[in-house]
Amino acid sequence: MAKIVLENIEKRWGQFSAVKDLSLTVADREFIVLLGPSGCGKSTTLRIIAGLESATSGNVYIDGVRVNDRLARDRDIAMVFQNYGLYPHMTVRQHIAYPLRLKRVGDPELSERVLAAAERVHLSEFLDRRPRSLSGGQRQRVALARAIVRTPNLFLMDEPLSNLDAILRVTMRAELKHLHHNLKTTTVYVTHDQIEAMTMASRVVVMNNGMVEQIGAPEQIYGDPDNLFVATFIGSPPINRIPGRASGGEFQTASANIGGFPIWLSGDAVLGVRPEHVSIADEDPDIAGTVFAVEYTGSELLIVADTGGDRISLIGDLARRPKIDERIGLRIDRGETFFFDAQTGARIRKSS
Amino acid sequence: MGEAARQPLKPLSPAVRVGRFLQPWIRRLVLWLFALWCLFPIYWLFTMSLKRQVDAISRKPKFIFEPIWDNYVKVLGSGEVWLYFQNSLIVALGTTALSLLLGVPTAYVLARYRFTGNADFGFWILTTRMTPPVAMLIPFFVVYIRSGLFDTHLGLILAHTAITISIVVWLMKGFFEDLPKELEEAAFMDGATGYQAFRQICLPVTLPGIAAVAILTFLFSWNEFLFSLVLADRVQTVPVGLYNFVGYQQIRWGELTASAVIMLTPVLLFVFVFQRQLVRGLTLGAIK
Repeated sequence: MAKIVLENIEKRWGQFSAVKDLSLTVADREFIVLLGPSGCGKSTTLRIIAGLESATSGNVYIDGVRVNDRLARDRDIAMVFQNYGLYPHMTVRQHIAYPLRLKRVGDPELSERVLAAAERVHLSEFLDRRPRSLSGGQRQRVALARAIVRTPNLFLMDEPLSNLDAILRVTMRAELKHLHHNLKTTTVYVTHDQIEAMTMASRVVVMNNGMVEQIGAPEQIYGDPDNLFVATFIGSPPINRIPGRASGGEFQTASANIGGFPIWLSGDAVLGVRPEHVSIADEDPDIAGTVFAVEYTGSELLIVADTGGDRISLIGDLARRPKIDERIGLRIDRGETFFFDAQTGARIRKSS
Repeated sequence: MGEAARQPLKPLSPAVRVGRFLQPWIRRLVLWLFALWCLFPIYWLFTMSLKRQVDAISRKPKFIFEPIWDNYVKVLGSGEVWLYFQNSLIVALGTTALSLLLGVPTAYVLARYRFTGNADFGFWILTTRMTPPVAMLIPFFVVYIRSGLFDTHLGLILAHTAITISIVVWLMKGFFEDLPKELEEAAFMDGATGYQAFRQICLPVTLPGIAAVAILTFLFSWNEFLFSLVLADRVQTVPVGLYNFVGYQQIRWGELTASAVIMLTPVLLFVFVFQRQLVRGLTLGAIK
């Protein structure tokens, strides 16, 4: 059980800054997800916590102890790698036993703990297999068993599910979540998949270009984004971004003038509204458009409408299925809109 | 719209079909010719060892002759062959062991650790290969005479190791560089020290490569002639021993070739048995 504090972490390679002035506190027992596009510094941050990379400046504390100068093996952290990091010459049993062997755990205890860990991830039948003869999901579970067998302070996971196929990913997601519920070990998890982040995290750290864009619970990140990057990165299909100009409670886009917004808004802005908060309105629409594409997803329809300048996507229900090139009217749910500064992308809130 | 542009698939022309049929046969023919070119000297060596001196030195090469075993009886009876054999074995095994012991850890450090002069050190090891060995022969000789290494197994082992070490280091460096870094990082996270990660993870994983390098080193030392001739007198290895049959006035072909066959056999067997490991080792990491 551990609490991690990152204090003004900076990582530079020559002129390139991978992580810029990152500060973060991970509470004990928390499942925190670092989320961002590739190259945003999330993996580097994880590796700095692990001790596989050293920070150019800043401090890393685990349970109040500064660990910058400690080697990875002296930090009592277990890590699961994207490509699993399995040893080709070892059997599953030897893999799980390896961390205990290094700690000189003696035999009756060693065997018991290996079996218990294997049991936990449903690998009991595969103990004498080598990685080569295991499937991707099984390999992933070997890496997991090796991580949990020594009950470390902290779990680090670097895109552990990204090499698995879609169905397995969903299953393993649930298993990881369940494992965390049982073990309650503090976990830092890195992914570029926003669904993984939303479903698993107690808190999400959204990163971009080496900087933290927003930290918050999944609901907060989704429902109350701090800036245009977070709003766009989270959510599928992505949020609609409609540039325009606000004044006197009205928002002037390229093709329409939409009223009913707060009176204090003014200037160039980007209106953000998620597809589920746009609906088809045959009478009294906010914007009119022609249907550009209709995608059937099984439970609902994803409709993209061209409003003469902006394409707006919306989630429609199966009862009203428009045809391509049909003229439709759209209504935007005023209470579910966000406004972002047209230049900086920062959220425009009332207080500011 | 694009209806006119669409064309049906045409059947293959007869020329193409004949070509497709012949292609594998041509490939096989080329391989057979190459194999013949490689194996003929061994065949000739073997048949010559079964010939009388008159047949052996006949102007027109004799393919049909009356085989005799006399050469083998004579060579094996003298006992000298066994001595050469023993010397070669000691020197070749010693060279292999020493080269690997020094070369493999060096290669690992060069492949994985960053330190000032890493590239320079690696290059320096390579430069030992750039001088023609003959150029080093006289200095070696002088040093060996003065230090008492002359005419000893250890002396030959050291000399051979000096030559082989660069191959060992550079081949092994390639193998280690091809290992994913995650392997050691996983070991570090599991609690391994740098040495443990090398010894318990990287070494077993590159074992096929190490085996291949070991075989190459062994073969080099087994075949090495020049240093073995100059740096020793009574400690004669196989190639040097064979040279004794080449006299001032005549070459005793029968005994020479019979001895050569005896010396060649273990090496051929060795390579034959380990050829899969050899190929696998040398192509380790080449296919990902």
